[in-house]
Amino acid sequence: MDSFSSPSSGSSSSQFSTEDFMDQLKTQLAQAYAEEFLETVRGKCFEKCITKPGSSLSGSESSCISRCVERYIEATGIISRAMFSAPR
Amino acid sequence: MDGSALNSAELQRLISQEKERAMVNEMVAKLTSACWDKCITGTPGSKFSSSESTCLANCAQRYMDMSIIIMKRFQSMQ
Repeated sequence: MDSFSSPSSGSSSSQFSTEDFMDQLKTQLAQAYAEEFLETVRGKCFEKCITKPGSSLSGSESSCISRCVERYIEATGIISRAMFSAPR
Repeated sequence: MDGSALNSAELQRLISQEKERAMVNEMVAKLTSACWDKCITGTPGSKFSSSESTCLANCAQRYMDMSIIIMKRFQSMQ
């Protein structure tokens, strides 16, 4: 059970509760999801915005990257809503 | 709550819920990636054109339609 022990749970009890476990699980799932999302965005925006790598990032490459990140987040919302709207 | 709660039906239910949420997130992520490639052909702008946003929404819905067809076809082969 040592792999489940949580030194920062704040509880003085040595027992590990369901709530502690679920908190850790949710945190780790959220972290894994965030890392995967970032990796995807990096790939997409590199492909769209850095077509000929120069010796530094140009202003247009930087603004392309900013827009790309915003658009990708927006796309995620569009897909998410479309998936759960009424099918025809 | 004591240590034996880790084997309870309640915990299993909570874990199932999280697993389902994770699967939904994964599906949205995969679909967004695929539909982005299909629909966003040029350089990203400061907003989507209406054809781009329509394409994205269509893409997700057609994928769901396709999933149903595939499942039905697969089931009819059992």
